[in-house]
Amino acid sequence: MSKTVLVVDDSPSIREAVGYTLQTEGYQVIKAESGKDALENIDGKQVDLVITDLHMPAMNGIELTKEIRKLNDFSRVPILLLTTESQVSKKLEAKLAGATGWIIKPFVAEKLISVVKRVLR
Amino acid sequence: MDIMEDFKQKFIEEADELISNLEASLLILEKKPHEKEHIEKVFRIMHTLKGNGGMFGFNKISEFTHNLESIYDFVRSGEMEINKELLDITLLSVDHLKMLLKNGDNLGSDLQKTHSNFTSKIENIINRKLMGGNDYSIEKQIGYGDNSAGLFSGNAANRKTFYIKFQPNEYIFNNGTNPLFLIDEINTLGTSAAVAHLENIPAAETFDCTKCYTWWEIFVATHEKISTLDDVFIFVEDDSKIKISEIAPSDLFLNHDFKKYIENLQKSGNQFNIEFLKKLPGIGDKIKPVAEETPEQPEMTAQLPVVGKVKAEAVISSIRVSSGKVDLLMNLVSEMVTLQARLNLYTESHHDPELLSIAESVQKLSRQLRDNAFSISLIPIGSILTRFQRLVRDLSGDLGKKINFIIKGEETELDKTIIENLSDPLMHILRNSLDHGIETPEVRLKNGKTEEGNIYLKAFYSGSNVHIEVKDDGAGFDPEKILQKARLKGLVSEQAILDKSQIFDLVFTPGFSTADAVSDISGRGVGMDVVNRKISEIRGEVVLDSEKGKGTTVTIILPLTLSIIDGMQVNIGRAAYIIPLYAVHKIYSVSHLVIQNAFDNIIALEGEQLPFFSLREQFGVDGDPPEREEIVVVKYENRKVGLVIDKVLGEYQTVLKPLGKHYKSQEFISGGTILGDGTVALVLDTNKIISKFSNNTQIMEESR
Repeated sequence: MSKTVLVVDDSPSIREAVGYTLQTEGYQVIKAESGKDALENIDGKQVDLVITDLHMPAMNGIELTKEIRKLNDFSRVPILLLTTESQVSKKLEAKLAGATGWIIKPFVAEKLISVVKRVLR
Repeated sequence: MDIMEDFKQKFIEEADELISNLEASLLILEKKPHEKEHIEKVFRIMHTLKGNGGMFGFNKISEFTHNLESIYDFVRSGEMEINKELLDITLLSVDHLKMLLKNGDNLGSDLQKTHSNFTSKIENIINRKLMGGNDYSIEKQIGYGDNSAGLFSGNAANRKTFYIKFQPNEYIFNNGTNPLFLIDEINTLGTSAAVAHLENIPAAETFDCTKCYTWWEIFVATHEKISTLDDVFIFVEDDSKIKISEIAPSDLFLNHDFKKYIENLQKSGNQFNIEFLKKLPGIGDKIKPVAEETPEQPEMTAQLPVVGKVKAEAVISSIRVSSGKVDLLMNLVSEMVTLQARLNLYTESHHDPELLSIAESVQKLSRQLRDNAFSISLIPIGSILTRFQRLVRDLSGDLGKKINFIIKGEETELDKTIIENLSDPLMHILRNSLDHGIETPEVRLKNGKTEEGNIYLKAFYSGSNVHIEVKDDGAGFDPEKILQKARLKGLVSEQAILDKSQIFDLVFTPGFSTADAVSDISGRGVGMDVVNRKISEIRGEVVLDSEKGKGTTVTIILPLTLSIIDGMQVNIGRAAYIIPLYAVHKIYSVSHLVIQNAFDNIIALEGEQLPFFSLREQFGVDGDPPEREEIVVVKYENRKVGLVIDKVLGEYQTVLKPLGKHYKSQEFISGGTILGDGTVALVLDTNKIISKFSNNTQIMEESR
């Protein structure tokens, strides 16, 4: 059975591009444009991986991570953050929130797929 | 790769919007430099452009916004102040970003030069702040050696070589971490090579696939600090053994023997031995002793999240739809409205109660559908107002005037076709206000006004119209001067007596300009008549009102939408006409004899003298008029004209269709429409009719 990836990004272009890349690799993709949207969308669904943008208005990726970790069914789902920065404080914050890791933008499709494959292995 | 082109296109649209938002926020910051919300916004936009730009091949945008992002990060954290220099350069970079977005990464030599200049200007700002180079850390590298010609190539001398011993916890997979991912990240920091040690992997029967048995030795040459390397392992440092040490203050990957040695390790799985490395020619002297094992970090306990679900509220507040789809929807709805009218007509002639109730329901539904479809194609006027902020800012600087520009009613919505056509005329009006309206600070002070001039741009609803008002407290127009000039140019006869509003209307006459000197910005005498023409193209009106010394108000009155209007169907002979309902003031039934005997086309109705004319005569309709005719009084502002027609048939929703270019020259018709029974009716352009017949001053004078 193909795995399901939740892609959260307020920027449609990135969201679509990431979603498309994953779909071509045979993953099921759920897209969400904000943290709230994401939380609503995964309700009752089986999600194997969450990829979320770090910088989003309203709820950022770290806050979303915290919320997702609160959900019973999602306490162990890997969560990857998309970000351009490599600040220590942010990383630490993300880690404490329960994130699994991150992908630094810009990245190429191959990189995204390889990271996702490894996390989902 | 077509689909990727699609995403790129999407990004361009997105970036376009971001850049206009950026501009808007910057302009607000100019007035209120401490507005936290907008500082955040600027930062976030820079950040998004940087990150997403790179994703879609706009590397120039990505590089360019990188430093701006850092600058606004400092501003955000209070380490830097927003000042004029910074705002000026950021506003200029808004234009530059637009250019980069348009041209992509392939800039011609001229643009490239501008780009480099600009980039270095911004770098200067940040360097002043940092007093050192920037720490650009985006790097894509997969292998080593052959790939080192990335961003760091020029800086090889500053690189250090680090050794990392990474022994992950057996259970590392359980918390969703993949060690290879970390090695990948190290790879992005510079040139690296990893040696995997597999000797702990047990025989197949005891092998537990959920455990991690492998450990790694990683060599990396980077000019990042050791702490950056530490950070890579931040997610796993609690439960894995990590040792990072500098083995050489230079890039050992440049040394062939070193690379050979690493390759050997990778093949054999042997452990790294620094003593061996020291013996290698050309390397030994560079090697630093490997530091002692770093002490274990105290365990960091993540706060365990409380179990429970947070119910999310509905969030999707808007979606994006291509304007083509909206146009199609509008067309379909228009057809539907026409069809519905036909159904009504049919129902009226067939007395079937069942049919009647169906027709009524359909009418109700199609009305709702129409209104809804309309509201979809409406967009807030605020979307074009930002650029005016910018215009006023730049122009007032050029003119040496101080101007306080206040926008109200940005949320007022208008049909998108109207909005698209509104920008140029508004620009003209604003330029006029800036150039001729508002006086220089000295003159203002002398006249007892504040040094700073005010321009208000206000949009608001009024009935089925939207008014856009541009008001300034500048010098204003002198009606006498306008009249004089108009007479001089032969636009009005010497005898004509005009009231104030008629005089101001002259300003919209082609070839009229009151400016004493033609300036760069406006005053070429094409301004206001072009404004007038453009606005009437979108069925709007422009009205000018002014008081000498106090200021000028230019009001643009626009219909909410262009395609459907509420109309009144009237008959003249056998032909049907539609009069827009908004213009209808009153309807009188008058005997034909009264009309025939009226002197000079003036009729007294309810004690009021009213100019009228017979459409039957105007349109040259054959046959005799009925005994009792009807006069539809149409009103526009303070002017009224009676239109004599045969019979009023009733209210009718009209889908306005353009007549096509062959009929452009006709005066009184604004379009055609298809009636319920399939016949064509012409829609009267009441505004034109009124101005044509009430501009006849003789009638005006006598009608008072």
